[in-house]
Amino acid sequence: MNKTIVRIAPLALGLALLAAVPGAAQQYDQYVALGDSLTAGWESGCLVQRNQVNSYPAVLSKIVYSGDFEQPLVSEGPVTNGSSPKCLGAVFAPPTSISIEPLSEMWNPLNALLPRPYNNLGMPGAEVGDLTSLTSVNPDGSDLEKISALVLRNFPGSPFNDTNAVQQAGSLLAPAASNALLTLWIGNNNTLGASTSGIVVPGVTLISADDFQQQYDAIIAGVPPGVQLMVATIPDVTVIPFSTTIPPILINPATMQPVLINGSTVPLLGPGDAGYPCTPVPPDQGCALPPGTLVNLPASSLLAQGVGVPTAAGGTGLPLPHGYVDATGPHAGVLLYPDEIALLQQTTDAYNQIITGDSGSGAVVVDMHARLNEVAAAGYDIGGIHLTTAFLTGGIFSFDGVHPSSIGYSVIADWFGQALNDQAGKNFPHVDLSTILFEPNPPNPGTGSSVLSGAGAWGYTYGMWRDVLASTHKDAAAIALPSVSAPPARRMAPVPAAPRTVRNPHRHDDF
Amino acid sequence: MRRLHHVPLPRVFLAAAAIGLLVAGPAFPSGFQVMTQGAKATGMGLAFAGVADDPSAIFYNPAGIGFQDHFAVQGGAAVLGRDSATFVGTNPYPGVGAVGQVQNQVFALPQLYIVVPLTTDLKFGLGIDAPYGLGLRWDVPELWSGRFISQNVVIKTTDINPVLSYRLLPELSIAAGADYRFSGVQLERNTAAVDPFTQAEVDVAHTKLYSDLTSNGAWGYNVGILWKPAPSVGIGASYRSKITVDYDGTATITPRPTGDQVFDQLVATQVPFGVHPVATQIEFPASINTGVGIDFGAGFTVALEADWTQWSDFKALNITFPGTGLPDIDRQTNWSDSWAYRIGLEKKFGAWAIRAGYYYDNTPQPTKDVGPLLADNDRNVYTGGFGYNTPTWGVDIGGAYIKLKQRSVTTESTDNFFGIYNETAWAAVADLRISF
Repeated sequence: MNKTIVRIAPLALGLALLAAVPGAAQQYDQYVALGDSLTAGWESGCLVQRNQVNSYPAVLSKIVYSGDFEQPLVSEGPVTNGSSPKCLGAVFAPPTSISIEPLSEMWNPLNALLPRPYNNLGMPGAEVGDLTSLTSVNPDGSDLEKISALVLRNFPGSPFNDTNAVQQAGSLLAPAASNALLTLWIGNNNTLGASTSGIVVPGVTLISADDFQQQYDAIIAGVPPGVQLMVATIPDVTVIPFSTTIPPILINPATMQPVLINGSTVPLLGPGDAGYPCTPVPPDQGCALPPGTLVNLPASSLLAQGVGVPTAAGGTGLPLPHGYVDATGPHAGVLLYPDEIALLQQTTDAYNQIITGDSGSGAVVVDMHARLNEVAAAGYDIGGIHLTTAFLTGGIFSFDGVHPSSIGYSVIADWFGQALNDQAGKNFPHVDLSTILFEPNPPNPGTGSSVLSGAGAWGYTYGMWRDVLASTHKDAAAIALPSVSAPPARRMAPVPAAPRTVRNPHRHDDF
Repeated sequence: MRRLHHVPLPRVFLAAAAIGLLVAGPAFPSGFQVMTQGAKATGMGLAFAGVADDPSAIFYNPAGIGFQDHFAVQGGAAVLGRDSATFVGTNPYPGVGAVGQVQNQVFALPQLYIVVPLTTDLKFGLGIDAPYGLGLRWDVPELWSGRFISQNVVIKTTDINPVLSYRLLPELSIAAGADYRFSGVQLERNTAAVDPFTQAEVDVAHTKLYSDLTSNGAWGYNVGILWKPAPSVGIGASYRSKITVDYDGTATITPRPTGDQVFDQLVATQVPFGVHPVATQIEFPASINTGVGIDFGAGFTVALEADWTQWSDFKALNITFPGTGLPDIDRQTNWSDSWAYRIGLEKKFGAWAIRAGYYYDNTPQPTKDVGPLLADNDRNVYTGGFGYNTPTWGVDIGGAYIKLKQRSVTTESTDNFFGIYNETAWAAVADLRISF
């Protein structure tokens, strides 16, 4: 008996010491997060309360912020045939594969009557300029306008009309400016829109560094003096499983191993681009993808039908679609050629220089570009658990292949907290990762749809692609997706995307 | 990798190794060195290199048997246990609120020493003991938050140490011996994987690495010198060489059913369940013991000692799975050489003696390396004992109370496993000696 007490006493003492969180006294009196889907907590194709509570700012706020951290929470309901973004989940596809399916979707705003701006002002789909340009929107307008109506509530008739994101952040921060924190992680969609749509065209999907600087400076100019500013860089395009999962060579869907013909792997087919001119050898209508080409996940549907597969290997010989722009508008593709990857990386580097250079000497910089490259290269090890950036099984990214999982967002929150310690002289504790690592997170309610056809070996459909584009591009509806059943050769007339005007009948009109 | 167990061994060695099989590894070495190899030495704070006046000198300073003039057999055991060994977690992992406790196993290590005078000046000695070992089994192993690093780790050794000691001068003895070390290792842990349906980590496999004590071993040597400038003063030093043991064994990977049959089937296509060959290596460090023993008269002896162990040789724990395609485990340890400082007292009352001692032992383990596999720290050790000795027989009992300093791993961790370790342990050693 005595022995038990003796053993428990030091344990209890240790717990008590740890519970007295170091740094509690130095918490901020106000905290606002500006950004895009990565700030909002978008995960697995949707933005719902189940995941918003695990957004990186929400997790960070528990450690660095003493007040209520309010978010534009959205309820989750059964899948409808409306346009509301779908929450993806995994279902078993006998005999041995996994299919990613829409199992629930975004329903109603839950926190729309909060009489002040939200602390989390992350706007899925927003690019840098949108944080200052969106001041009054049509709640029935584009994807981004709907998001703005949800997050900023800046539509006619709302008390928040005629305010942009930076202004709303400033109104919260200014009264507590001497002890307030603003995190700003924006610019991701300035490159993600190009990589997820496969349209890498300066002036269309990529803005100039000068424009980026001007727009970024406009945000910085709106930060109230005295506020601790914290900025994060834009990740490399090559870290997201959306672009890294499908290799540019033929894979046997039964074994998921490379197909070998005469001992060699079989490159998939593409139409070539300016850097890789293509003269097809009939009967193939495309040319071998050069090594290093990234094939985005929506190609899964096309490969399942033999598109991109040489005729010699039993395919159609048709090339996988490559993104382009013509008089009818932008047309999405599934390929990123090495020269396009290089252009995206140069652009990302230029944007990141602006982010780190223009945020001011007092700003704390979280180098997400470097951190995610480290994880992509070596994984993230914690207590004998090995996390990677692999699709479905890596743990860091969610079912949409672009956005982090709840585990990934908690790791990111920890990086933000530690950056405050390293660069702002704080002594905040680490984020507790022990719960989130083991917490099941399937869509709720997981009523699901019937098994989709044509998802292919990687279980990725066009429906998922649309929702990814909606969260990474300001005008996703304007991008035409290549047809699944009649894949285009380059410059073929595109099949228009399915109209996205049907609204969820359950959705309230008042956000 | 060399397969040292192919070296033919005398039968006595195999028999000794079989004895070793009956016992588990000890509990709480400094690093994983175990110095409690004699009851008298244990009672005197292990300050015995300058005293070395019973057959356990073969371990502490083999030159000591040069001054021992009778055939003697001394046998006994060290019983080692933990009073308490606990872990309290902190963020980021395993998080505030996570706790762990090491099972209170008790280990018994036999020790046997034989001294045979060949001539007046030349003595043969044989020692069988276990100078290194480790046993760390965590309670509730399937829930313990460190289970993906270690649920149970065991290092066992049994040394066969024949020595010759020669008395060069009436007041000076030297010695040299060969040291064959049998060693076995065991490591158990779970593996986690992401369940693609829930996106949560779940336990999917259990791996047990096992290498038998009798199957692996390597040669080393030890030397010693003991100078007695006056009958009441002994000045001694001994050296034991580094011994590198290469291990061959098996890795047994078994499924941990998750409750989701579909996921279990997917796991089975990815994880190579079954028995696989495994190989690893441990570099047991060299050590130097230096000490003095002074008899102040009236049966009162004071012994002082400083011991150095070359733990910097223990650089990494590398485990390979030859021919299986399984990824290697390559864990840097980066230990430092360490010192221990000892003082021992003895007061004789005729055939009776009472003893007391203290030592301070610096840990060789850097904070970053501390984890569920091994959590060492600087330690204060208090010892005591008594004995009854006649020219023809004797009994000695010694005990030690070992208090490790609290070890906090809060900033850097090789395992990325953060928290605070506390440990107290004890040892009791009893020996019986018969001389002719």
